[in-house]
Amino acid sequence: MKKSKIDKPILEGKHLTKNFGALVAVHGVDFSVEQGEILGLIGPNGAGKSTLFNILMGVYVPDEGEVVFKGRTVSGLPPHKICRMGMAKTSQIVQSFKEMTVLENVLVGGLHGKNLRLREATQEAEEILEFVGLGRVKGAISGSITVPDRRRLELARVLATGAEVILLDENMAGLNPAEVEEVLKLLMEVRNQGKTLVVVEHIMQAVMGISDRLIVLNYGEKIAEGTPAEIADHRKVIEAYLGEKHASHRPN
Amino acid sequence: MTLLPITICLLIVPLAGFSGYLVRLLAMIFLWVGKAGCWNILSGMTGYIDFGAVGYYGIGSYATALLMSKAHAPFLVSVLVSGLVSALIALPIGLPTLRLRGAYFGIATLAFAEAMKQIILEFDKTAGVRFFEGPHGITLPIGPGNEFFYYFGFGVMVVVIAMTYWIRRSKFGYALRAVREAEQAAELAGVDTLSAKVKAYMISAFFLGLIGGIETYWLTYITPHMVFDVLITIQMVVMSLLGGMGTVFGPAVGASFLTVLYELFHRDFPYTYTILVGFIIVVVVLLMPKGIVGTLRKR
Repeated sequence: MKKSKIDKPILEGKHLTKNFGALVAVHGVDFSVEQGEILGLIGPNGAGKSTLFNILMGVYVPDEGEVVFKGRTVSGLPPHKICRMGMAKTSQIVQSFKEMTVLENVLVGGLHGKNLRLREATQEAEEILEFVGLGRVKGAISGSITVPDRRRLELARVLATGAEVILLDENMAGLNPAEVEEVLKLLMEVRNQGKTLVVVEHIMQAVMGISDRLIVLNYGEKIAEGTPAEIADHRKVIEAYLGEKHASHRPN
Repeated sequence: MTLLPITICLLIVPLAGFSGYLVRLLAMIFLWVGKAGCWNILSGMTGYIDFGAVGYYGIGSYATALLMSKAHAPFLVSVLVSGLVSALIALPIGLPTLRLRGAYFGIATLAFAEAMKQIILEFDKTAGVRFFEGPHGITLPIGPGNEFFYYFGFGVMVVVIAMTYWIRRSKFGYALRAVREAEQAAELAGVDTLSAKVKAYMISAFFLGLIGGIETYWLTYITPHMVFDVLITIQMVVMSLLGGMGTVFGPAVGASFLTVLYELFHRDFPYTYTILVGFIIVVVVLLMPKGIVGTLRKR
């Protein structure tokens, strides 16, 4: 997808750096996301993808650099404030409110993320549950539903917060190909509603197929950026994933 | 609704010529339901186990004692001020401690309650004044009879239960329950977790202070060792656990159950009753890990 307009990006990371003791988890990462775009974020295990997400959401304060969301510096704000401004994320490890029902889980997002009243929030939550295909289990205790359903529930809760920018941290992990296909369809629908998505995913086919643009992290640094086709052929990316031997067979 | 007949019965007990013992016992139960209910508002809803709840009870007790004995303030004014003082102190205590997780919060609150006791014990000697009266305690003007405290206890109990009922169905309640289930997920979904916890802590402290004030006027004499007794906190914990943490009627069931149990066994087995009660608590917890109300509701 070509970006000809010189719009201000909706979300920007400027030279983001985060250390944990001696470990440099994220180092000098710059990136930006346009409104309505799907940005894929890939990289081997431990590359710093989840850390980057946590910096964006305010779970971690970056040691250097800043996060600019809708033209405002948000690094340093607590996660709930960033959420209320319109950015939310799903967790890699599903974190549902286990003893609450599926509907109540989604309600929390609407009540607090979007600041709705109980009545409006309930109505919206029901609609969102229908949309993601969880209408049939809305009264079930969320700890009792299947893994694919829990992944959908995470997405539903994020949607309920009214987020414009949605960060998906391996939302398809543990799903079979058919289930992945369904989630991808869902995500395209979400995008068509005008939402911006940033997707961390290990299932390459999925992330390559859905993203307008990709960023590759390795050892906390951005090593490549481009369209899916460009990335698939990128020497450094192949090196990071498969080792130098495989990369050397290819021209740069 | 089974609540209405129970309420009516309870309201006419003191007028119906029952023994003074029964009136006194019921009044005690009401006040325990109130205290356990306060503990439940914070700890039951959020899972933050408060081991210093007696601190606010003690602060309320001393506020009422000082106001009534030294400033000659009327009882109603004194107890309301006691609640407010407790809630106000809960703010600076809650803000740092409610950032701690798990056992650390428990230890911090336990330390707070013990520190309050020590401050009141040693303040006069250290500052060279006569204010808290240290270990000698404070004597209050003689109050009205048991019926008065019966109705006051009943009123506070109803308010605490109604409050819990309201919280559980409110936006605020959803925030607290989300904190209990997965705090970080709650924060990421837009819940101002710290503010929700501090609010619950202050509400809990307000009513504990109020109840401390009421019981002080009933006892007419208090010392720091009496009103900052860590056993009072433990009773609140056990009653809430027995009844069902986080439920509306759990603390009421737990407090009634335990108080009646103590009374029955205390009469027949004056030397061994604590062993028997302890044994029953273990059995109930093993059979009903979610508490009496929590387990019955599931079925």
